Amino acid sequence: MPRAPEAPPPTLPRGRAPAGTPLYVHLPFCAAKCHYCDFFSVAAEGHDRRPTVAALLAEAERWAPREPRTVFFGGGTPSLLESAELRALFDGLERVTGFRGAACEVTVECNPESLDEAKAATLLELGATRLSIGFQALDDAALKLFGRVHDAAQAFEAYRAARRAGAREINIDLIYAWPGQDLAAWRADLDRVLDLGPDHISAYNLTFEEDTAFRRWLEDGALSKPDEELELAFFEATRSRLAERGYGAYEVSNFALSGLHARHNVNYWQNGPYLGLGPSAVSKIGTARGGNVKSVGDYVRRIREQGDARVWEEAPDALARLRETWWLGLRLAEGLSAAEARARAGFDLPEDPLQPIAERLADDGLLERRGVRFALSPRGLPLADWVARKFLEG
Amino acid sequence: MDTKHIRNFCIIAHIDHGKSTLADRMLEVTGAVDKRDMRAQLLDSMDLERERGITIKASAVTIWHKKDGVRYELNLIDTPGHVDFNYEVQKALQACEGALLLVDASQGVEAQTVANAYLAVEADLTVLPVLNKLDLPHARPEVVQEEIENSIGIDAADAARVSAKSGLGVNELLDRIVDRIPAPKGEPDAPLRCLIFDAVYNEYRGIIVYLRVVDGTIKERDLIHMLGTDTVYEAIEIGRFTPTMKRAGELGPGEVGYFISNIKKLGDVRIGDTMTRHKGPKVAMLPGYRPPMHMVYADFFPTNTGDFESLREALETLSLSDSSFSFEAVTSEALGFGFRCGFLGLLHMEIVQERLEREHDIDMIQTAPTVTYKIVLKDGSEVEIHSPGQLPSPDKYEQILEPSARVTVMTPAEYIGNVMTIANDHRGTYVRQDHLSPTRVQLVYDIPLAELIYDFFDKLKSSTRGYGTLNYEISGYAESELVKLRILVNGKEVDALTSIVHKDQAEKRGRSAIKKMRKEIARHQFEIALQAAIGARIIARETISALRKDVTAKCYGGDITRKRKLLEKQKEGKRRMRQIGNVDIPQKAFLAVLGGDEEEG
Repeated sequence: MPRAPEAPPPTLPRGRAPAGTPLYVHLPFCAAKCHYCDFFSVAAEGHDRRPTVAALLAEAERWAPREPRTVFFGGGTPSLLESAELRALFDGLERVTGFRGAACEVTVECNPESLDEAKAATLLELGATRLSIGFQALDDAALKLFGRVHDAAQAFEAYRAARRAGAREINIDLIYAWPGQDLAAWRADLDRVLDLGPDHISAYNLTFEEDTAFRRWLEDGALSKPDEELELAFFEATRSRLAERGYGAYEVSNFALSGLHARHNVNYWQNGPYLGLGPSAVSKIGTARGGNVKSVGDYVRRIREQGDARVWEEAPDALARLRETWWLGLRLAEGLSAAEARARAGFDLPEDPLQPIAERLADDGLLERRGVRFALSPRGLPLADWVARKFLEG
Repeated sequence: MDTKHIRNFCIIAHIDHGKSTLADRMLEVTGAVDKRDMRAQLLDSMDLERERGITIKASAVTIWHKKDGVRYELNLIDTPGHVDFNYEVQKALQACEGALLLVDASQGVEAQTVANAYLAVEADLTVLPVLNKLDLPHARPEVVQEEIENSIGIDAADAARVSAKSGLGVNELLDRIVDRIPAPKGEPDAPLRCLIFDAVYNEYRGIIVYLRVVDGTIKERDLIHMLGTDTVYEAIEIGRFTPTMKRAGELGPGEVGYFISNIKKLGDVRIGDTMTRHKGPKVAMLPGYRPPMHMVYADFFPTNTGDFESLREALETLSLSDSSFSFEAVTSEALGFGFRCGFLGLLHMEIVQERLEREHDIDMIQTAPTVTYKIVLKDGSEVEIHSPGQLPSPDKYEQILEPSARVTVMTPAEYIGNVMTIANDHRGTYVRQDHLSPTRVQLVYDIPLAELIYDFFDKLKSSTRGYGTLNYEISGYAESELVKLRILVNGKEVDALTSIVHKDQAEKRGRSAIKKMRKEIARHQFEIALQAAIGARIIARETISALRKDVTAKCYGGDITRKRKLLEKQKEGKRRMRQIGNVDIPQKAFLAVLGGDEEEG
């Protein structure tokens, strides 16, 4: 395989990201760690959050873009912060970046136990345009198994509170195919969620990530995975039910009413740039990536002492970038063309080694041709990772 | 240098008994290598050798040792320790007058050490027993001396006692080498004769020939005639290994060193050949080496069919530094063009395969190893086959003969029962049993070589907790009731998976083979049927169900690097894989017809 003869630009640029770059802010605090979750988070109890908020703002001054196109507050549980803390954070970020006038989408992740009407109103007043609420399940026993600290009724109440406060765009997060879940019950749960009329639904097949309680329980035999056929039935039932109600599957696990997809996340799948703030947050600027330390204390100290909390960086070569662009881009229903892939990857060698792979997968019926674009076919969709590996191997 | 001040010797030892450490210590105490330049185990120059802790190739080093005010040239010729490399051992032995028999005083004598010690005795070498690891609290030198005497039959009463690790006794050992090992006998004025005992290929300098001068003196600018290959080369550089190559200009009788002539034609240097002066007096070739015996054959196919020529070049280059394997082009219906290679044994096969991949960056698929069968055809003529696919249909032949090995196992006495059980499971015939000491036993069996290859080594190790060691020699051919076991993938026979098995074991081994294949072959987007057949009869079937769902649910910004790593991990091990029909079959599945890690029952 020919390798790109490139000068090594192995580090992220030292300084603020280009204006307009999407901004991600990681708030690592949670009421409790969910048993399936592998995102970096710490228990809120006993943690003084003020140094973290101060460090986030100090980090922003040094690295954050002016006028980001989109902003996403994720975690952790951003809604867990008190109104005063949120105000200090959002106002501070506004001073540094001017996001309120610039961003077309500002999402805040919320959990039912920490989202009431007042909190929602504060978030909207501070510049949020979109709230994402973690329902995860409508079955209280399942919520207990997940380690969630709310019940289904609280989730519904949080949703209504957000609407009362004036939230226009709301996403609901759901998890399916958990141990023991009944397919018919899942269809009924989906209907109940749909009846609320959310703008966006993220519905994920449960995964047993490394270093989670669920993975440990799976390995110990305390939990068992539904068999593949059942998972496939869940996957397909979810897509067809949501499609019937007007929610298009614009990504493998993401559904939205027309025009209401999450722009911030679409950028990830298009392999675009982003700047991440906070412990464990990842940034991609130009062709380089880097990530912050996964520790609140370390993060605060590094920002205080060096203004920088990155602990790893990588600069994939042109071919590696092209591979990545393909498998990420194919997660979107819009798919991508070979020319788009090359442009996004910054791949400018004369010969495109991956286009023939796309052609072959299309011949095998796993991809569909739409003009010059390729997208996963109905048969290829549940085999997206298998397809991804073909781009990594070829 | 006067021959009476030269000593040529080698070290015979089992893996881990401290041979390389002792060699290192000798280099250190004689000042050949500065302590700060000391890199553990200097003599094992290949990465592979260091990793496996074994010596694959013979190599040489010259050290200078002073005794009673006289400076002696000691040439240590390193020898491989494994049963597969008997040929290399013999070459090295022929270049020496003496051998150190190095035994770990905490472990005792092992089977391969005994075999190599016999070779040294046969080659008329003076054998000096040396007990190592005397610094260990559980060293038991008296018991081990008894074992040496009982197993090899040499007097070990005054065996040297050393600790190669600490250096204890090493100087005294060097003195003893001078005292006890005879000086070489070569005549300085006789016509030149040198023995080629090894060769390596160097990209810049061509072939570096390792030689031992037997008679006369070899000098730079001499025109040298290699008798066996009948080629002539000028001696551009003559030198010694100290251990780095050091130009000497000439080497006299009894000396050991190297010869460089920018030789690029791989076929021109043959290990075991005799070198003499071009147009000088006629000399007799040095007593012949036994040509290497290929006991095990396997086919190598490039993973990418386009790499066939690169594989050929790689095999040619490798055959230069390892003259003991053979290769010839073959064609497989399933795998296309490749090479059938003959090896001294299983370890040798693994090493060649690893060196091809590491040193030549070639990805290959290797078929399960097989032995050479002799087939007596209906008309009474006899043919040899090196591949199960070559076995004619039963109506075409009268009988099949298979090679049998006389196998010697040394084991702690408590495992005798286990060893007997696995010998019986592998069609073994009991020969005898000897007690070497109250705690160690030597068991002798006749076992078909094919059974040794199948999984006898693995089973021996696991049933003796790693303490059992083994040596074998081919004892002849015997008739056996063998049948061809075929494997079908989605109804299509895969010739590269065919094996020859005993009729009584056919069903069990057929079932086990496709069970293992089922584990090795990843699911595809369609169902895959695996079948084992004897003749037209299907004896077992396994199904690999179709892959229906394979998709990561969640994938966001910070997540991307993790998902990518996960995807890449899943593709690991996919490199060595070949597509047959539209099924990707990984290397491991091609070895499924061997035994090993199958579940019992």
